[in-house]
Amino acid sequence: MDSFLTAFFSGTSQGAIYALVSLGLVLVWRGAGVVNFAQMGQAMFTTYIASQLIQNNYSYWSAFVIALISGAILGAIVDLGLMRPLTSRKNSQLLNSQSMRTTIPVIASLGILGVLKSLAGIFWAGEERGFPTPVPANSIKIGSTNLAITGFDLFVIGVVFITLVLTTIFFTKTGMGLAMRASALNPEVTRLSGIKVGSVRTLGWAISGTASSLAGLLITPKTNLSPNTLDLLLIVGFTAAVVGGLTSLAGSVLGGFIVGYVIAFVNVYGAPENVFIAILVFLLLALFIRPQGILGSKEVRRV
Amino acid sequence: MSKVKTHKIIGARSTRLSIIFFLFFILLSMQFDPYNQSQLANIATLLIAVLSITILTGASGQISLGQGAIMAVGGYGSALLVTRLGMSMWLAFILAIFISALFGLFLGLAAARLSGPYLAGTTLVMALAIPSIAVRFESFFSGDIGLSVDYGYPPNWLTNLIGEISIEEWSLYVALPFAALALFAVLNLSNSRSGRTWRAVRDNEVSAALAGINIARTKVIAFVCASALAGLAGAIYGFRGLVAPTVYPTDLSLTLLTAAVIGGLRSIGGAIFGTFVIVFLPDLIGKLTKNWAIPESISNYLPALIIGLLLLLTVILNPRGSAGALEHIRHARQSRKH
Repeated sequence: MDSFLTAFFSGTSQGAIYALVSLGLVLVWRGAGVVNFAQMGQAMFTTYIASQLIQNNYSYWSAFVIALISGAILGAIVDLGLMRPLTSRKNSQLLNSQSMRTTIPVIASLGILGVLKSLAGIFWAGEERGFPTPVPANSIKIGSTNLAITGFDLFVIGVVFITLVLTTIFFTKTGMGLAMRASALNPEVTRLSGIKVGSVRTLGWAISGTASSLAGLLITPKTNLSPNTLDLLLIVGFTAAVVGGLTSLAGSVLGGFIVGYVIAFVNVYGAPENVFIAILVFLLLALFIRPQGILGSKEVRRV
Repeated sequence: MSKVKTHKIIGARSTRLSIIFFLFFILLSMQFDPYNQSQLANIATLLIAVLSITILTGASGQISLGQGAIMAVGGYGSALLVTRLGMSMWLAFILAIFISALFGLFLGLAAARLSGPYLAGTTLVMALAIPSIAVRFESFFSGDIGLSVDYGYPPNWLTNLIGEISIEEWSLYVALPFAALALFAVLNLSNSRSGRTWRAVRDNEVSAALAGINIARTKVIAFVCASALAGLAGAIYGFRGLVAPTVYPTDLSLTLLTAAVIGGLRSIGGAIFGTFVIVFLPDLIGKLTKNWAIPESISNYLPALIIGLLLLLTVILNPRGSAGALEHIRHARQSRKH
């Protein structure tokens, strides 16, 4: 029972972070038709910025906010500087080919990932460093029994919950959210109804950058921070997004929690070295059984 | 791809080009010191893997971020055959081709259902998962320590023929014939019926299907051919000394893709150029940083930064790579003449 609770609580708090990563991936995929493999590279970079600020005696919370803002700016820069010119180019022979139109942005995002990693290595010497938590990361005690959950886990779950509520309100209640949903569904019609699809798309990149930056801030106290630590998180987030459905925002969150539980239970009942294999098997199973994802719709799948 | 040449005499041009390639490498190695000779052997080895991307992504339009993992399959396959069964290295290399082709068949059957980013993500997960299998089944694959294998010593007939050669030269002589053969195979494949079907499926699946091409089978065949090449490359790569998870990291897969893109995804000459860039550029940068006394904290990351920037520049300015740029210049010159 004890190990079950451990797996359950760690699955919930890790799954919440995976949900953020997968939400970021899905936002960009729906808006721009690109899976952004540089996403966690951006998050790694902004987390280093936060870490640098904290070292320079800024408070955790100001560093936290600045990291989120720089995540948004970085996302917008990637779209404006690279992805938009790339996808809007029509006269290139290579991009006229069906399969290359989706492949070239993937390669571009890998280029960004490489550049961000080596820049982080140059700026911050690349050695692994810790990252502080705003609340103590000790197990919570009720009476004399140790619960398998730490204060920081609760903090993570709370922050992600608030983020998800805000995102839902944004997409269902505000005009901008409506415009984003419309331009993801049908860019041509949306453009005709007077909405600037390009700017809406950039906003999607910015929100995605913020979400992944938040994920980076929440995971690094456990994994430590180095230019490569967040690579695994991208893989897990991608699996979560595919499981939930690359086209569905709700599905991406659901997928995040499912993958979180799968990894936590493999870790507790199996062995840590099985995790990669478990992720691969789980991803392949998901692709075979339900390639459009749990909540994704088959028609919209851009494959 | 505007004009499709069919060759009546099978492979006359490809034979010529492969021999030129072989002689070029031999001549080049005579000018080099031992270190650069071993780098040249690296180029010959990695070129086989880059050519697999030229087939897979350039010709058939399927992206793979996991060619390094398929190299690991070939490497472990051949290393196990040699260390456990005492097989000869050459036979193990040939069998590695078949082992990885079989692996590519299963992979291709799964991948034919996927495309674009789905395929990219799945192969990236594979690139991480496959080396960790070696750690998981430690008793069989000997875990993180890996399997020690090497090229051995040059046979007597060769040393009698050309005199004593160093270990570095020998590693080049092992890798180079395979690289030339791989080049020959890829040159022929891309001019063959399969090559044309691959390009048809890549450019427009619907019209390819209407022309009577079996899409799924075409994609699977491309995967099998590419995996056979990558597996062979992995076997030769591992026999430099060690077959272990750290020899085939995710970064290796990404480096191979970078080489293919920088050179030009659709060009075989581009693949050769790109492989030269990824192997020799870090050395060149290292030399320059030493001359300019740039601190180590920066110079360690400088090669990765410059190669990443090169990749980005290629994608932005000319997605067809340096080979595409050359062609562009040639076209411009011709149209000025007329």
